Amino acid sequence: RYVRQLQRLQLLFSPTAADARGARQFVEEAAQDFARQHPDVVLYVSPRSGPGPAPVLRAEYLNGTVREELIASKTSEEIVQLATKLANQSGLDIIRIRKPFHTDNPSVQGQWHPLTNKPSILTIQGPRLQPQ
Amino acid sequence: MVVLSAARWVRSRLSDRFWRVQEVLKYARHFRGRKNRCYKLAVRSVRRAFVRSTKARREKKRILRALWITRIEAASLEHGLKYPAFISNLVKSQVELNRKVLADLAIYEPKTFKSLAALAQRRRQEGFLAALGDGKEPEGIFSRIVHQHY
Repeated sequence: RYVRQLQRLQLLFSPTAADARGARQFVEEAAQDFARQHPDVVLYVSPRSGPGPAPVLRAEYLNGTVREELIASKTSEEIVQLATKLANQSGLDIIRIRKPFHTDNPSVQGQWHPLTNKPSILTIQGPRLQPQ
Repeated sequence: MVVLSAARWVRSRLSDRFWRVQEVLKYARHFRGRKNRCYKLAVRSVRRAFVRSTKARREKKRILRALWITRIEAASLEHGLKYPAFISNLVKSQVELNRKVLADLAIYEPKTFKSLAALAQRRRQEGFLAALGDGKEPEGIFSRIVHQHY
């Protein structure tokens, strides 16, 4: 069963700033539809009073990563696209993955060590063996 | 008066020079010496680093294949077979394992690799018998070819 990795989306913007116009339009028009389409994501709308930092869309994931995307001077449709993109992501860091595979138990028969293919007389530790 | 273009003595000046410089320096942070701090030296070093990393993608495939071959050679010598004999006899026995998988088996599954070496050795002996024995003995068991019809 699919578990959405996005926990909550916080929309932080100022109701009077000019670059938050897209954010305000998003809240008026598309936020409710977005919240209905994604029932397992909690959408918080927190207007900040006064001139403050740029409007930001903060996404928190189930593994604890917090990702902030600027929504200054973006239209409502672009913010909807951004929000759906964040909702479909998981919280893993966006870096180059070195290997497309990973195992916790790479060796079933025992990893090779220099004494695997040698006669077992070399590994015996005991009282001094008499040469035959 | 209506002005349709800026007067000729007005110049525009850069305001985000800091961020343009940081875009380049962020790729130079792990370099040695002044090239990780000074923009003029860093631009040259970063460009060379990118060019080298592009070219190295073709070399990486060759380097890794050579590494696998070295490891398979070492592992098969432990079992008394040389690398060309091992690979050719595996191919003749229709075991289509590539060098990457063979190297991983040699490291993590030594018993499987030992059985593969024994298979190659047996096929080698059957090949010698077929070439030198001249037809009176029956064909070897491991020399039989399985035909797959798709």
